[in-house]
Amino acid sequence: MTETPFHDKPRTSCALGGALAAISALPDVVPIIHAATGCGGNLMNSVAFGAGYLGSSYCSGASAPTSAVTETEIVFGGAERLREQIASTLKLIEGKLYLVATGCMTEMIGDDAGGAASEFAEAGEPVLAISTPSFKGDCYTGYEILLDGIFNRWLRKAGAADPRLINVFGVVPGYDPFFRGDLEEIERIGARLGLKVNTFFSPTQTFENITAAPEAALNVILSRTRCRGFAERFEEKHGVPWWATDLPVGPEATDAFIRELAAKLGIDGAERVVAAENEWYYRYFERTADSYADGELRFYSVTVTNSNYALPLNKYLYRELGWTPAEIFVTDRLEEARREDLLAGFAELPVKPRFVSGSQEIARSIDQGRPVYRGQRYFDALTPLYIVGSTLEKQMALRRGAKYLAVSFPAYDRAIVAGGYAGYRGGLRLYEDLIGSFMSAKG
Amino acid sequence: MSYYEQRIPPVRDQRLQLADSFSGCAGELLECQKEGCLMRKSRSFWQTNACQMSLTLMMAATVAGSVIVMHAPGGCGAQLLAINVQSNKGRAQRGQPPAPLNWISTDLSEADVIGGGERKLEAAIAYADREFRPEIIFVVSTCAPNIIGDDVAEVVERAKSTAAAKVVGLHCPGFKSRVVASAYDAFYHGLLRDIPFEPEAWKDYVPLDPSDPRYEMEQAKENYQKAHTVNLWNATSIGYQDEDEIKRLLSALGLNTRIFAEYASLDEFRQISRAALNISMCNVHDDYMLKFLEEKYGMPYYIAGMPIGFSETRRWLGGIAARFGLEKEAARLADHEEKLAAEAIKPYLPALQGKRVLISGGVVRAGTEAAALAELGMEIIGVKAYHYDENAQPIFEELAAKLPAVHVSVSNQAFELTHQIRTLKPDLVVTHSGTHGLVAKLGAPSVQLFSADGAFFGYGGFYQLMRKIHFALGNVNYQERLAGHVRQPYKDWYWSADTYSCIKEES
Ligand code: SF4
Repeated sequence: MTETPFHDKPRTSCALGGALAAISALPDVVPIIHAATGCGGNLMNSVAFGAGYLGSSYCSGASAPTSAVTETEIVFGGAERLREQIASTLKLIEGKLYLVATGCMTEMIGDDAGGAASEFAEAGEPVLAISTPSFKGDCYTGYEILLDGIFNRWLRKAGAADPRLINVFGVVPGYDPFFRGDLEEIERIGARLGLKVNTFFSPTQTFENITAAPEAALNVILSRTRCRGFAERFEEKHGVPWWATDLPVGPEATDAFIRELAAKLGIDGAERVVAAENEWYYRYFERTADSYADGELRFYSVTVTNSNYALPLNKYLYRELGWTPAEIFVTDRLEEARREDLLAGFAELPVKPRFVSGSQEIARSIDQGRPVYRGQRYFDALTPLYIVGSTLEKQMALRRGAKYLAVSFPAYDRAIVAGGYAGYRGGLRLYEDLIGSFMSAKG
Repeated sequence: MSYYEQRIPPVRDQRLQLADSFSGCAGELLECQKEGCLMRKSRSFWQTNACQMSLTLMMAATVAGSVIVMHAPGGCGAQLLAINVQSNKGRAQRGQPPAPLNWISTDLSEADVIGGGERKLEAAIAYADREFRPEIIFVVSTCAPNIIGDDVAEVVERAKSTAAAKVVGLHCPGFKSRVVASAYDAFYHGLLRDIPFEPEAWKDYVPLDPSDPRYEMEQAKENYQKAHTVNLWNATSIGYQDEDEIKRLLSALGLNTRIFAEYASLDEFRQISRAALNISMCNVHDDYMLKFLEEKYGMPYYIAGMPIGFSETRRWLGGIAARFGLEKEAARLADHEEKLAAEAIKPYLPALQGKRVLISGGVVRAGTEAAALAELGMEIIGVKAYHYDENAQPIFEELAAKLPAVHVSVSNQAFELTHQIRTLKPDLVVTHSGTHGLVAKLGAPSVQLFSADGAFFGYGGFYQLMRKIHFALGNVNYQERLAGHVRQPYKDWYWSADTYSCIKEES
């Protein structure tokens, strides 16, 4: 597959976009966008809409402070305007940490945002600058730059290490549209094991979860492709080891997650939790068998997701529902080494992912060698087909007569509030959504 | 050289007096404009909003058969997802099939920022032309290429000779203007430079044959048709129902109405020059285009506010009618329509009269709706205009005459809106889309100041607006429940300070 040097309907935004989406989910953290007036609004609107109508929070969306630089600052420099904006933000907005995040134009003209932030930091104000120009990377990079800034530059270790405390990273706010529900399920499972879980970005979290992070016993990275460098630097600075795994979706994956997590931490109780959770899960799931098995609801699956969801989702479809994977498209841009890491995870699956993002190209490769059924008597069509992707796949699904559900960014043909697909509860939720999406045609 | 001959359009800051920060009453604003202090005002604290690029995209995305090539870093086009949903709705309302909006981004990398992105843009245009076979390719030039010095206009020029599609440059870097309304000029500049507005012989018509005995009769017929055809200019905020209402009224006057530029196609654009009058529906939308059409084709234009509310609609319609010697008909039509509409609105009035209303959003809308609601007995407690430019002067003159004591501000800032709602406690907020969540979290009911899905104009539209307000006021439990549980980010001192204490005057 040839890589085009430009992007057909990107499913991402820029580093600033990723950082702002993440900041909007952090309690008491206030962004100060060092860019033109429109950047923040445009980027946040896109996630507020494309992540299942995520909307805005405390000081995000139209409330987010910005230096709103204009041509004058582009010509003469924007540091002075930024200083004024930091000062006025500190005066007006209540927050525990103020994050100056730069856009591409202020980076290109060489504004020293870091310097401006340091002046305030030296005066004792909780101000930090992160460099998030678009040309440094996409939203996923922006999320990691944000984490690096807060956890590896700003935080100091306060208390003693707590063997029962873990941090969870790797789930990307907004661009993993179920981030809140997914993180809460991890919190719930952790609590069942007797752990305290810092997930930072779910509504249960407070600023104290952030400041306690260096005291954790383990950093759990729920991503094979994200946060590697971040976790290494975190370990260097705070001495917290890390473990990269997948977001567990469904009972089998979650059983394994619980056992491995318990082993890493040297705690027991894993088997008790696994048994109880499976008991709960299957008392629900067994009753679905009548409609599921009777309806012969087995499908060929095509998934179109970012690298975080590709493996968990496909494992679930293949192992829990017994579907047959036909194509797996991974849509975020990855370095070669991260692709290898991801591919390693697919060893037990019959299909390997392809790295393509353009919806035009994806549609074409699904069609390739798989003509649509036109009344031939002996015809092995790719049916019944289920496309689990983003809303960008909807038209293709309609054209092929496939079932379809959006789970990946952008997902704007559904509302996502507290739902998530992680864990046991998420496994049932995913079942409900996959099957429910076409049940609604009845009646 | 006139603006129209330049490859790159001016921003409004260059061609008009404008402002984004003011607090006072309408008379003071006009005074301040005269003295020049209006242009010097700014803020020490800003919150993020939109940019002229995003509004330009909203218009471009409606044009039939078009593809958008963003010459930009990866983030700039992020909003196109949402824009596509709106433009598909607009298409459906106009009976056109929904079409996925195709757009690509040159996604400028660090290497491009250093080495320039022109080659990449060239390749992207060629790819879009080949892959999507569009009629029009909009090339959108954003902040980054304008800072690194890419000659986007030159790339567009060159692409014209190689691409099968018409290639249109839309130059709209956000940093060039804090005033989003510059987008109208950027969009129109692209159209007027790169899209043909004249009908083509044999394609759009069969030329009349002078030897045909019916020649003179046919010619007279054609001239008559042209003399009774008008172009109605919509743009982003004006939806299908409003177009339809105005078309209905104009056709009652015997005028044939065509609508531009949103949702038009290449074939339709060629009809633009064949009309007797260009009609704008908003003072700050269309002057750039309509002045061009006057200059180039000698077509007169009409820009005179917005037809919202009884007296404005009467005046607006009357002004058009006067161009065709139809004043009397227009007055009688208004009498007739007003009577029907007043009758329909009447049941709602008791619940609305005396209600305290704060209005916020686009300058012409906000001013006009304020006057219209005041006319029916609602109490206007504040008018907030997102921006001010001298094209909007008549609106403020009107406000100064009709609502001289009412506070007006130039503000698109969330904190100032928040402050006013908290301190003034309006019964109703009529506000710009995208702010209703914020208003609800403050406990106030609200209705859209405009919506491309709603109706506002003329008589039918005004009825719908009043009905909607009545409906919104009927149950405010949602807002009250929500407000009890949402924390505001502002520090306490602000609530006792002046709303506009962050506005400053630069020397
Ligand atoms: S202000 Fe410039 S960089 Fe920001 S979104 Fe608008 S065009 Fe893009």
